[in-house]
Amino acid sequence: MAPEDNERGGDGSEPKILVFACNWCAYAGADLAGVSRLQMPSNCRVIRVMCSARVKPEFVITALSKGLDGVLILGCHPGDCHYSEGNYFTRRRGLFLRGLLEYLGIEPERFQVKWVSASEGAKFAEIVKEVTEKIKALSANRP
Amino acid sequence: MQDKLRDIVNKLQAEGAIEYFIGYCPGAGPHLVVPCFVAGEDEVERLVWNPLCLHNLSKYILQARDLEGKVGLLVKGCDARAIVELLKQRQIEREKMVVIGVPCQGQVDPAKLEKVLGVPMEKVKGVEDAGDAFLVSVGEEKQKVPKEQLLREKCFYCKHPTSFEYDSTLGEMIPLSMDADRGEFALVEELEQLPLEERRAFWQKQFARCIRCNACREVCYACYCTECIFDKKTPRWLDKPPLLPENEIYHLIRVLHLAGRCIDCGECERVCPMRIPLSRLYKKVQKDVAELFNYEAGMELDEVLPLVTFELDDQDSFM
Repeated sequence: MAPEDNERGGDGSEPKILVFACNWCAYAGADLAGVSRLQMPSNCRVIRVMCSARVKPEFVITALSKGLDGVLILGCHPGDCHYSEGNYFTRRRGLFLRGLLEYLGIEPERFQVKWVSASEGAKFAEIVKEVTEKIKALSANRP
Repeated sequence: MQDKLRDIVNKLQAEGAIEYFIGYCPGAGPHLVVPCFVAGEDEVERLVWNPLCLHNLSKYILQARDLEGKVGLLVKGCDARAIVELLKQRQIEREKMVVIGVPCQGQVDPAKLEKVLGVPMEKVKGVEDAGDAFLVSVGEEKQKVPKEQLLREKCFYCKHPTSFEYDSTLGEMIPLSMDADRGEFALVEELEQLPLEERRAFWQKQFARCIRCNACREVCYACYCTECIFDKKTPRWLDKPPLLPENEIYHLIRVLHLAGRCIDCGECERVCPMRIPLSRLYKKVQKDVAELFNYEAGMELDEVLPLVTFELDDQDSFM
């Protein structure tokens, strides 16, 4: 990232949030939110992955250390994974990673895992709104 | 015990049961002990065992993969957990090694020794175990120092030296029983109770000091990948300069990779030239893995590593 980008986030300026959305549920949910013309903040950059379990914890760490203000992983509801059990792994990793990040003094709001199904466009918009607001309330991740 | 060790190794070699033996030898000075590989009777004479044998030798057993014969190895009870993990992670076969367990009654922390006696480590001629104290030879005289003043941190919480089935032992493998005045995870809990900003400041300060010499990776028993993620060119995970964001990524990825595999041998902290308190990081991982997944590394051969499996009823309160 360019250094000037690092000065964003917090204190009223616009944070950058990275969203990993699973191809089968969350991405379709995001699509539905868009097609339904739901209003949501534009701080999120969505990366489509084939499954939420594709998101290595290394991605989250690298993103946060390099100055992104938040990382959000969106997957299918437990039990609904297109690959049967991918999101169960995501859940374990998320649980572990969250404790670790908190121990290192990174606000837990900066890393979130949520379940969004393909029919939950409204929920997607709501999560994006909520997460953006929470992260806006924090100061910049790496000033 | 040293003589018994030499006898056993000589016997193994005479029988042709092993190609070489991995143990401890005197290093460049009397206070130094280094890992060594011995073959032949004259070399076996160099083998030593004393409270300065700090290294985790399990790391070197992986060399036996390329051999036709077997390798003999001396392990302390705590380091045997590394072998359990290596077997579990299918890095080596049990048939490839002859493991000799050494009943360890605590190891000396050189930094504590220097502090307590007020002499540099170079002046120390040797350390002996004398029940509930260490006999430290400085110059001509021997000083008796109570164990609790000199022990390595991990020795206060000595447990499970019998998690592994040894081929033979040099005595009964019993854990050292020490009354620690604080719990095993006291240092972690102390940090956990600090406010978030202070914790962040603490770790940023530590990581900023890292020179990325990779010593912690090289010494770690669990770092056996032929190509480490940090050395990969495509994709490149890590930039070369040891700057704070990169250092942070380095240490966090290492912690993640060791989740459920760290056996608390404490080698990373021991070899760190910058004295970064890495065990406070890895202890946290052990604590979390125990609390969240009810798992302890290096105990059972047929367990599955906690982050490559799942339970249907894992918590997801924050999701």
